[in-house]
Amino acid sequence: MPRARLFWLRVFCVRVGLLPVFCLLLSCNRASERSLTIAVNAGVEGTALKMAASEWGAARGVRIEVVELPYANLFEKEQLDLTSRTGAYDVIMMDDPWFPRLGEEGNLTPLPRAPDADFVAPCLDVCRNPYRTGKYYALPYVGNSQLFFYRGDLFTRYNLAAPRTWDDVLAAARKIGAPGNPPNEKMYGYVMRAASGNAVVADFMPLLWAFGGDVLDSASKPACDSPAAVDALRFMLELGKYSPPGYAGFNADEVSAHLLESTAAMSINWPAWIAAMDDPAKSKVVGKIAFAPMPSQRVPGVGELGTWLLAVPAASRHAADAFDFMFWATDAPQMKQAALRGNPPTRRSVFQSPDLAAKFRAFPVQLASLESSRPRPRTAQWNEIENAFGIYLSKANASAMEPAAAMRDAAHDIAQIVNRGR
Amino acid sequence: MTQRRPHLLGASGLPWILPAVAVLLALSIYPLIYAVKVSLTGPGGAFTFANFARLAGDRVFAAAGVQTLVLTIAALIIEFTLGLALALLIDSLARAKSFFRAGLLIPMLLPPVVAAVAWRLIFNPQFGVLNGTLRELGLNTASLLWTGGDRSALASVILVDVWEWTPFLFLLLSAGLQAIPPEPVEAARIDGAGAWQIFRDVTLPLLRPVILLALLLRAMDLVRIFDQIFILTQGGPGTATETVSLYIYRTAFRFSNFGYAAAMSFVLLAATMVFARGLAQIMRPRTAGVR
Amino acid sequence: MKAVLRYLAAVAALMAALAPVYWLVTISLKREIDQFAYPPRWIGFAPTLQHYVEAFGSGSFGMYFTNSVLLAAMSTVAALLIGVPAAYGLTRFEWPRDWNNRIADWILSTRMLPPIVTIVPLFLMLREMHLINSLLGLAIVYTGFNLPFVVWMMRGFFAEVPREIEEAAMLDGESRVGALMRIVLPLVKPGLAATAVFCLVVAWNEFLFALILTQTNAAMTLPVGIASRVTQYEIKWGAMSAAGVVAMLPVLVFATAVQKYLVRGLSLGAVKG
Repeated sequence: MPRARLFWLRVFCVRVGLLPVFCLLLSCNRASERSLTIAVNAGVEGTALKMAASEWGAARGVRIEVVELPYANLFEKEQLDLTSRTGAYDVIMMDDPWFPRLGEEGNLTPLPRAPDADFVAPCLDVCRNPYRTGKYYALPYVGNSQLFFYRGDLFTRYNLAAPRTWDDVLAAARKIGAPGNPPNEKMYGYVMRAASGNAVVADFMPLLWAFGGDVLDSASKPACDSPAAVDALRFMLELGKYSPPGYAGFNADEVSAHLLESTAAMSINWPAWIAAMDDPAKSKVVGKIAFAPMPSQRVPGVGELGTWLLAVPAASRHAADAFDFMFWATDAPQMKQAALRGNPPTRRSVFQSPDLAAKFRAFPVQLASLESSRPRPRTAQWNEIENAFGIYLSKANASAMEPAAAMRDAAHDIAQIVNRGR
Repeated sequence: MTQRRPHLLGASGLPWILPAVAVLLALSIYPLIYAVKVSLTGPGGAFTFANFARLAGDRVFAAAGVQTLVLTIAALIIEFTLGLALALLIDSLARAKSFFRAGLLIPMLLPPVVAAVAWRLIFNPQFGVLNGTLRELGLNTASLLWTGGDRSALASVILVDVWEWTPFLFLLLSAGLQAIPPEPVEAARIDGAGAWQIFRDVTLPLLRPVILLALLLRAMDLVRIFDQIFILTQGGPGTATETVSLYIYRTAFRFSNFGYAAAMSFVLLAATMVFARGLAQIMRPRTAGVR
Repeated sequence: MKAVLRYLAAVAALMAALAPVYWLVTISLKREIDQFAYPPRWIGFAPTLQHYVEAFGSGSFGMYFTNSVLLAAMSTVAALLIGVPAAYGLTRFEWPRDWNNRIADWILSTRMLPPIVTIVPLFLMLREMHLINSLLGLAIVYTGFNLPFVVWMMRGFFAEVPREIEEAAMLDGESRVGALMRIVLPLVKPGLAATAVFCLVVAWNEFLFALILTQTNAAMTLPVGIASRVTQYEIKWGAMSAAGVVAMLPVLVFATAVQKYLVRGLSLGAVKG
């Protein structure tokens, strides 16, 4: 190769190599303009927040970047960002069970001012560290607390009253799901999600509580091997007989799909799915789903709280804008707007607003459920505990383990996890 | 050339390799030292063997190890058998060899993430084309959950790996087959040996180095498998498809237990190094013309 | 007859290999109603480009694509610039007591480190240097991946070039570097190209490090972008498969270009192919 050509080839290569470096340097300048990076859950919960964010950003001249991640990966990314103080995110969306872990050791910036009293109390309680008594570190955005969904039309057809206890639920499931009843229509009495992990634990908690059991007792020792807990699991397996096959692997979308496709008559579900139930484009049961509070059994039933919170990481470089956005988005007018976009509100005034009452027939039940809801155990090791607990619950539902043995092993593993955390 | 070579004597290759060695030292030695340190650190910064003690009694880790082994051995056997069969088949075709070869290689060239996504689509029990086609053929697919089923998940993952990496073995074995000199085979045929005999006594022994290389390379990658499983099942349902890599990932990033994750990763490292040693022996190139 | 059976078997194998890829392509081109249609439609659907427009137009996939391209290019160039001289140094000089092989073995062993072992320390190291969530940080890591590969591949190629050629040039007054650049490199050009392509492919396909070391869309690569669309609910099949198709096209194109060296590359230079 002639020397000249070789020389120019080398120059070219160097230039090509430097070009990306220049691009990077150029992109670095953008850090000085106003911007806000929001980490959002990739799912129905994140939809309203995304829209609110782009509206706010356009109005204030702030560049909004939304990072949408699936549930599990969202937690991992937030956890990594918070503990290593990389400041990648300015506003993070977190499921309330994550709060004890994500909010420890000064990872989050406390709110500059306390939220007003219009917020539903249980939603605010989980925003405080320590729980219920400490400083506020987050604002609640998605007012999710579990509801009991059931086919009002089918209950009328079979002369059944709205289910008040889990025994009622089982009886109704037997009646509605009896074979050949009605002919040519395969209807399962009940559907639930029992996929290992968050899915099965979230669906099991109301049942566990209704039987008087819990995962951890007041001394933070595992209580899931108590007789009440084993009875609750046995009841769950009983209900499982009237659920579609493969439910031991179901997640939220399978449960909702069965309701929407009119192949199942009852389930526990989140209010975020109500909009889909009444959407003619997605649902075959528009107007037929009724909502009731969580059934009781040995003790009054409570819905499980699953509210999504907004918080600002301590290492964020745009904290002022972040809090500005958060307070704006959780403001009453914005919450109303978000409700119209399918987001369950966290403010009492929005639930009781007359303009929304006509459109959202379930609001009274939702508000009642939210106000009496109960959060999952407040421990920084909830992720590990839920993981371990979920494995055994799922195995029991897949008939791979006896309920008593499953609970015993679960208690053993949870005890180890709790001890490690001391 | 019989003259002396004044330029070579006394010249050193050291400056040539220094940049590479420096970069690799920074990217491999530092992380290893850090991993050692963090695995021996308990909460509060104290020096402790607790992580390794826990490792010895961890049933979940043992289960993950077993699953990794099952996956590795099953995938390896199936991929090797299919790869060899394909290599022999394509080699025996009179025409269009390169056409078939090019097409058969495609699964291996895709980004593993894309392959996993494609299979997730296919495996979906309700909307996927696999169950859809089976239903068309009259089968009841209600219990065919593939990656969603507790018992079928691992098999589904193995299926995806077989689909994706059999071409690798096919390619290597094909190259090995082509490198076999025709004389021994011809000689055996002239002596009256049957096709199977020729294959067993002449071809296979000559193919052994390539077989060994292919198996070791593939085993080493299977033991550390991560990308496909992450997309297909994330280790689920439950821990049915949780291999060692995924358990380490979960411990580090979901449970924030970096010390324990580091301790576990040394076990994985040891397993990989066993294969690496074997590979290094096989792979040293010789000087020009001699192989 | 036997030949026909063989061809049939080969065709069956080919179909098994390509069916999933074909299905992915069709999903990316189908309207949503067609995607879930039963019975499944392999052909005979109205194609649409909406998913591609959605993913790359309004979605972030355009950015992911650019990031992947830049990353692959940077890490390949860097790996070649550092690795080719290293390979040359290991093959051409006298090394005492087999050190060149030992160093080469060590270089190869770094390639065999399971990524999960080094990911957390590397994350912390890059954080100290403020290179988290940046293309430069990822490029450095990817260069580290590609280096051992370049060294081992090029060792094989250099070993095929007889020493006499450079020696002749050097006796004529050429410097060592000059001999390398003007005499040897042109001789191994095809090998160099193949090595470059392999580096590009490895960087393009990489997932775990990109997953952990990137945090926002500005730095995420195509595999990470695709993975983040796989959620529990409402997986956007169309956009995801469109991105998948785009992600696999460059690889297929490049791989066909270096078909001749595929075997050698995949076996890290051990098998001549």
